[in-house]
Amino acid sequence: MKLNPARIKHNIKLQLFLLSAGILFVYKMFFYSDISFPLQLLNEIIVFFTVLFMLSYANDLFSEKKFTPMSLVMNLGILCAVIFLAVLFSDSLLPVLFGKISDTLKNPDFFFKIISFIYVLFFGAVVTYLFLIFKELFFLKQKKTGSIYFNTMAVFFLLASITTVLGFFPELSYVKNTFFIISIILIIINSIKISWIAFITKKEKLSLLLLSVIICALFFVNLFGSSDENSHYQVLSGFSASLGQFYKIIMIYGAVYFAVLFFTTLFHIPTAEAFDRKAQEVSSLQYFSKLITQVLDFNELTDTVTEIAMKVSSADAAWIAWKYERILKPIAHRSIGYLDAELISGYIFSKKLFSEQSSAYTESLKKFEEKSQLNEPYTSVIVAPIRTHNEIRGYLVLTKKGDFIFDEEDKSAIDTFSDYASVAIENASLLEESIEKERLEKELDVAREIQRKILPSKDPVYEKLSVSSVFIPAFEVGGDYYDFFEIDEDPGNTGTDKFGFVIADVSGKGISAAFIMAEVKGIFESLSKTIESPKEILIKANQILKRSLDRKNFVSAAYGLIDFKREVVSIARAGHCPLLLIRDGKVKNIRPKGIGLGLNFGSQFRLNLEEIELNLVENDMIVLYTDGITEAKNIDMEDFGETKFEQILLENSDKTVDEISNEVIKEITQFSRHNTQHDDITLVILKWKQKINLFTKNKEESNKLLFVQKDEK
Amino acid sequence: MAEFNTTVKDQGDVSLVYLNGYLDAHTASVLESNFSELINQDKYKIVVNFKDLQYISSAGLGVFMAFIEKIRENKGDIKLASMNDKVFNIFDLLGFPLLYEIYKSEDEAVKKFSESFGEKT
Repeated sequence: MKLNPARIKHNIKLQLFLLSAGILFVYKMFFYSDISFPLQLLNEIIVFFTVLFMLSYANDLFSEKKFTPMSLVMNLGILCAVIFLAVLFSDSLLPVLFGKISDTLKNPDFFFKIISFIYVLFFGAVVTYLFLIFKELFFLKQKKTGSIYFNTMAVFFLLASITTVLGFFPELSYVKNTFFIISIILIIINSIKISWIAFITKKEKLSLLLLSVIICALFFVNLFGSSDENSHYQVLSGFSASLGQFYKIIMIYGAVYFAVLFFTTLFHIPTAEAFDRKAQEVSSLQYFSKLITQVLDFNELTDTVTEIAMKVSSADAAWIAWKYERILKPIAHRSIGYLDAELISGYIFSKKLFSEQSSAYTESLKKFEEKSQLNEPYTSVIVAPIRTHNEIRGYLVLTKKGDFIFDEEDKSAIDTFSDYASVAIENASLLEESIEKERLEKELDVAREIQRKILPSKDPVYEKLSVSSVFIPAFEVGGDYYDFFEIDEDPGNTGTDKFGFVIADVSGKGISAAFIMAEVKGIFESLSKTIESPKEILIKANQILKRSLDRKNFVSAAYGLIDFKREVVSIARAGHCPLLLIRDGKVKNIRPKGIGLGLNFGSQFRLNLEEIELNLVENDMIVLYTDGITEAKNIDMEDFGETKFEQILLENSDKTVDEISNEVIKEITQFSRHNTQHDDITLVILKWKQKINLFTKNKEESNKLLFVQKDEK
Repeated sequence: MAEFNTTVKDQGDVSLVYLNGYLDAHTASVLESNFSELINQDKYKIVVNFKDLQYISSAGLGVFMAFIEKIRENKGDIKLASMNDKVFNIFDLLGFPLLYEIYKSEDEAVKKFSESFGEKT
């Protein structure tokens, strides 16, 4: 049990009430007599305090809850009905009850007093409750808690009630009458300002009409029953004159209030529907504003948009025409079939008005020739654009049947609403984009890691062969791969006997290309150990890849083997860029026949794969590359091209392999500086028995020089 | 992003597909839906005209590889025609001329359909 100050106050009020009631009971039982004025006065004072504490205590119950006007009216009705029943049946029941008591009991007076005490206490509570409900209704929907009108009225109620005790002195009866009349005037004044009627729904207003008539009638009956002929009233006023007066005043209040209520409600009926619609509009917009930040799935969002659009206007159906690759298709259609939506959309979008408008507009369907094909007799539409990133991505379309076309109200509501909808959809699409972007970046990080690990970390160096490789990955991982294989045939002999090299380009980009690269590396690594012939290696590789390559994917590759002893190089090319042989200031294309890996798993691949063997001459330069080099683009979107590439190689052919690759890369970077790199750039340069003093190399230019001893690895 | 679009025409029982622009990973889906559509309509005799194609990437080549098997299974073929030198070189390097019939003119390609039902695997 919470012992906060409010609760304590609450309990105190209850205790005061009970105390007061107890004192009243005792007083009534033993001390009261209606002959003496002071005793009467004391009676009224105690009654007053009892009622006051009861009011105070009951008021707390009211302040805790929030009531709707209709529930308050119902409560009033029920209590009024209770009193009505009492008024109706008291004449027949009470005398019988009292008669029975007189007959059967020895001390009837005692029981009369107890019964009347309980009866008065009960109806006193009912009247108090009625008073509090009226008070609640008065302050309902009031912006300013300017309670001066009500409080003044309550004060006069009090005065009118208390002064009835002066009835003891007939000359002073004008006092109580004055207060009584003033109270009634104040009742009328306060009842005129019933402001909560506007806010209930049309249905509630209609039922209120009926209720107010009934309750008004009941209060009138109760009022006319407040005469000394009625047993019910007799008990009340006999117990306490002021309570009887208060009761009368409340009945008048009820009758007047509900009479006024009836007429006020009647005059609100014509505008009820429009008011409802406005209220619906506002609450829909509020609801939708909340949704904007919560619903981020595109389909869910568009469904909600059409749902609320219909609530906000008087539309019979709604959909969104959304741009899919330049064609507008109906989605999220509500209360209308896809075909009908498509038909109407087709008509609207072909009209001249459509292309001219940049905000919501209405259009009539009267001149629509295919109107008869529609399932329902739609007669007008509202079209509102939906924008994201300042670009129109679709249109919200609403349609209506029947004689009443969309009006300015509808149009302006939809105009506002479509702005909201645009924001919501933009949010959702921005979020989707950023999630997608993040996902892609993470994927690319993984792909780059794979690629980094697959490629050789160092260039090997041999007595007879210098090797230089450059690899510049594209942002989106282009799928280039190259590798070097040392083949030792005779374990007894020191030194490498054969040197295998491979260059490849996997179709596609990103993480799927990276995975295939990894697989290709594994294949070549193991095949190079057991098979010598480049042609055989490629044939075997193609067979192995049959299991894992998609129909859409393929790999271009070229494999070569240098025999250091025989001083020859054998090369096979499976669809890759031709290799270049630079000898005596001339460039020769090495382009043996061959189909890319993964393009054919039948006999065609093997039948069309050529292997050639070349003798190696001093200073021979072999260049391997991928199309990232020849297809690098400049500001005019022109290719770097084979010619330029070959030219640079020739011009620098007597430099070291590292110097040559640097030159090439320098030229390409300069050429394509205005563009982002779309493909991996791979360049491998091999030079046979180069006549050059390694120690006079320009240290600055060759930044990729790493000496690896042959038996170190 | 580079532009790409296609036009599909009928010439008897042969479907002609005209490519225009840049065929790469971003635009490949357009050609994919053309081929799917033709297959749905049981049109397996296809000639693709490369006259207005500026560039094709490996993704673009992949589109042909994705559909050729099914088309040839149904006794049809995709014949390629009117490539410019640059585009032809891309195909040639990979060995496509050994797998597809590539012609200098569209008429030659169309004529081939009525001449024989040559099967290539």
